[in-house]
Amino acid sequence: MKSLYRIEAKRSLAPHINLFDFSAREVADKTKPGQFVILRIDDDGERIPLTIANVDAEKGRIAVACHEVGKTTTQLGRLKEGDSVLDLLGPLGKPARIEKFGTVLCVGGGVMTAPLHFQVKAFREAGNNVIGIVGATTKDHLIFLDEMGKTCNELYVATDDGTEGYKGIDFLKDLLKEKKIDRVVAEGPILMMKAVSDLTRQHGIPTVVDLIPIMVDGMGMCGACRVTVGGKMLFACVDGLEFDGHQVDFDELLARLKMYTPQEKLAYVFWEEGERLG
Amino acid sequence: MEASNGEPRIGVFICRCGFNIGGVVDVHAVAEYAKNLPHVVFAEEGLYTCSSAGLDSIKKQIEKLRLNRVIVASCTPATHESLFQKTCEEAGLNKYLFEMANIREHCSWVHMHLPAEATEKAKDLIRMAAAKASYLEPQTETELDITPSALVIGGGISGITAAVSLARQCFQVHLVEKEAELGGMLKHLYKLQPTEREAAEILREAISAVEANSDIHLHTSTSVSQVSGFIGNFNVTLQSNGSSQTEQIKVGTIIVATGADEFRPTGLYGYKENQNVITQLDLEQLLRNGNLKKPEKVVMIQCVGARERTGRTYCSRICCQVALNNAFQLKKLYPDTDVAVLFRDLQTYGENEHFYKEARDNFVNFIRYDSSRPPKVSTGSDGKLLVTVYDTYLHAEIELETDLVVLSTPLVQHEDGRKLASVLKVPLGADGFFFEVHPKLRPVEFASEGIYVCGAAHGPKDVVESIAQAYAAASKASIPMAAGKIKAGAVKASVNEDMCVNCDACVVSCVFNAIEASPFGLPRIIEANCKGCGVCAAECPMGAMQLKQFKDDQIVAAIEALFKPGEHREAEGGFKPVILCFACQWCSYAAADLAGVSRIQYPPNVRILRVPCSGRVDVLHVLKAFQRGADGVVITGCLIGDCHYIDGNVKAKERIDVVKKSMGSLGIDPRRLEIGFASSSEGQKFATMMTDFVKQIERLGPSPSRPKPRSEKLVQNRGQT
Repeated sequence: MKSLYRIEAKRSLAPHINLFDFSAREVADKTKPGQFVILRIDDDGERIPLTIANVDAEKGRIAVACHEVGKTTTQLGRLKEGDSVLDLLGPLGKPARIEKFGTVLCVGGGVMTAPLHFQVKAFREAGNNVIGIVGATTKDHLIFLDEMGKTCNELYVATDDGTEGYKGIDFLKDLLKEKKIDRVVAEGPILMMKAVSDLTRQHGIPTVVDLIPIMVDGMGMCGACRVTVGGKMLFACVDGLEFDGHQVDFDELLARLKMYTPQEKLAYVFWEEGERLG
Repeated sequence: MEASNGEPRIGVFICRCGFNIGGVVDVHAVAEYAKNLPHVVFAEEGLYTCSSAGLDSIKKQIEKLRLNRVIVASCTPATHESLFQKTCEEAGLNKYLFEMANIREHCSWVHMHLPAEATEKAKDLIRMAAAKASYLEPQTETELDITPSALVIGGGISGITAAVSLARQCFQVHLVEKEAELGGMLKHLYKLQPTEREAAEILREAISAVEANSDIHLHTSTSVSQVSGFIGNFNVTLQSNGSSQTEQIKVGTIIVATGADEFRPTGLYGYKENQNVITQLDLEQLLRNGNLKKPEKVVMIQCVGARERTGRTYCSRICCQVALNNAFQLKKLYPDTDVAVLFRDLQTYGENEHFYKEARDNFVNFIRYDSSRPPKVSTGSDGKLLVTVYDTYLHAEIELETDLVVLSTPLVQHEDGRKLASVLKVPLGADGFFFEVHPKLRPVEFASEGIYVCGAAHGPKDVVESIAQAYAAASKASIPMAAGKIKAGAVKASVNEDMCVNCDACVVSCVFNAIEASPFGLPRIIEANCKGCGVCAAECPMGAMQLKQFKDDQIVAAIEALFKPGEHREAEGGFKPVILCFACQWCSYAAADLAGVSRIQYPPNVRILRVPCSGRVDVLHVLKAFQRGADGVVITGCLIGDCHYIDGNVKAKERIDVVKKSMGSLGIDPRRLEIGFASSSEGQKFATMMTDFVKQIERLGPSPSRPKPRSEKLVQNRGQT
């Protein structure tokens, strides 16, 4: 009998974005910020990597946030409190580098703001001054505003359409001029991480990004998650998720992420139609 | 706008087209049938619906019965769709609420001897059109203002010609040249054939035409560093060389005339090592400046660094003429100098053939070598050059002592050209030159509207050809600027932001730069750039991206209507497959039309559904067709390489290949799904494709997913993939 991982709590953060608390004592005991799990819903399920957004060591729980972007994530989104998934493999990947750097700018985009917050807490505990940025496409899709607001020393909000806070990411130009920032952590959509890295490069500020490409085993065996960093081929699952943003080949990453678009769509449509017809 | 609100009220007008449709299809029966379709409140047959009487009837019924959707079942939309749409608009009905069913080219003309089947097919096509029509929405067409000014990048003869041509048509022109003076390559040339006029003289005239025209704003020592916007409204940042000073200008159109460089063959044949090994351009400058000391002997080597196996594989076209001209000028200057031209193939097309003959008459020696045994250049102890070449006519190695070796090298794209391509987001071909959208149909345009190309930037060209192409580009650019406005059709992508999961699949899929990514993932559609292919909609995993007039619900409605729920199609006479064919509105739909016009008969089992591009066909559409009971589905598009949206058909093929691989898991034989390509002239090919496919499906038998009586559950083993 396989152990099942129960959903102890589920909270909707934004349309199609949920935060799940899973009972996973063995994972919770070892998790550090920046690490991830590979989740599988059932025997036929696809393996999906999810960055860990929080740990409750006492209750033996981990939290993950998930955006419904395809078949498996939508299937996960339809599970309720009390439901279980077949397995949660982790913690995987190297922990994020958490030290006392001075002032750390943490930029979160979309669903990835949740795991970034886990790092923000650790940076604060390590004695850093943390400036946070929470961004999303539009006002309704901003998540973790309260949590980030409470944990960060300063918080800025941005949206693509300008419905809340700054419009786009250009305001960062001024921020980088005004503030003395020692380290930047960006976690979110690839284009956001690329934009942030491009801006900080001009100021020579060390910048790390968390990459979560297509993965299969999550343990360095399959090579699906390879990324090019500074001309070297690395595996996100064992060498990351954290990489030097100034060295990452974002364009290649973007292209690789789109490699299975037809298959992903097919899986989604097949599943969705199957669900609909019952 | 009101028309779309509330219940659809559809009017169906069925044309007999004299005997063309009426002679095969039982039009009366079809009209009676149409009256009972959902939402249809009126149906009538007419002798010629496109006649003024027919059009009057449409208008009358729209007004009388408050029709809010109109269907004409007649010929191909290619001929009369715009006429019918105009008629609807005259009666106050938005033209996007009009739909056509092609029961002539796709039905009566291709099933001339099968009246019963043709009649059934006509009913099916009308039922599909009516189902789609119920979901149509009124659209507004936007008009874009065009700023009547152009940016011409590059101040060589092409750029100057284009700029002067536009300025003379009273458009404002910004002519940008990276160097301090105008002229480009022409500055370095000597005498131009066929007239032997001095390049300097031609250039002087050209420059004075620029200077004399106050509508040309000249920006020398300047480059284009940033371009945003779209046709009619480009925002351009100009940067002065070696300074951070920038200037913003706004233009309606852009012409790329950045020319090309001569390839510098460092390391080949002793170039750069021996000062007596020079290129044709070096020689031309020596001739021009009168600095050429008399050589006793000259050897020219053709195809240096060109027509290679990899890399510069192309023929630079002009080097043979250049070598002939320079040999000719040299002989004129020093008649007793020996000139030998070592060539692989002399490409002296057209008038140039006369120069070749003249050169031979003037004792220029031509020696053919083969690329497998290229000539060798060495320096003797006396400092003289020695060229060794294997003559493929004499089958012998020849040694030529010489004072001067002249290398004919190809024109190549320069670094600035490559940078400009990324600034403008326009493509370069495999040869590195700017790549036009279609070599025959749109030879001086890019896929991004409002950007044009001319001269050597587009590939090696001589001055005559560059000037001709510059006029072509100027003429193309003047069209939207003279009109002052362009009307953008309403068939554009639109995104439902609530359903969007910010994956950027649409951004990556669009080849027209019509979808812009924002940092947090929100796609923004630049309608002016959208060509309406619908590839983005098919790539979107969530159905958030849609193409107006070809939305998923509209296409699915038509598909579902073809296969009426619960209908059991087993008629007497055995298995009659039902096949859905998606045809792109360009080539393959036209090929089907041509099959009709040519009266090429094919089996009546195929129902054609028009889509803008084969790349619009979504996994969902194919799956729906099979779920509803299609025995076969075929997608047709333009020939590979001929897609009107660059590579929509390639994307369709990739997608269909993936679906075929996965179909087995649904219990459907992958041979029930095919994709084929035909040009608009290939009516016979289209008919053959359909005939073969029908035969293939007949061999396979009824699809296991055909509706069983009382059950629609088709996905039998889902979850067990």
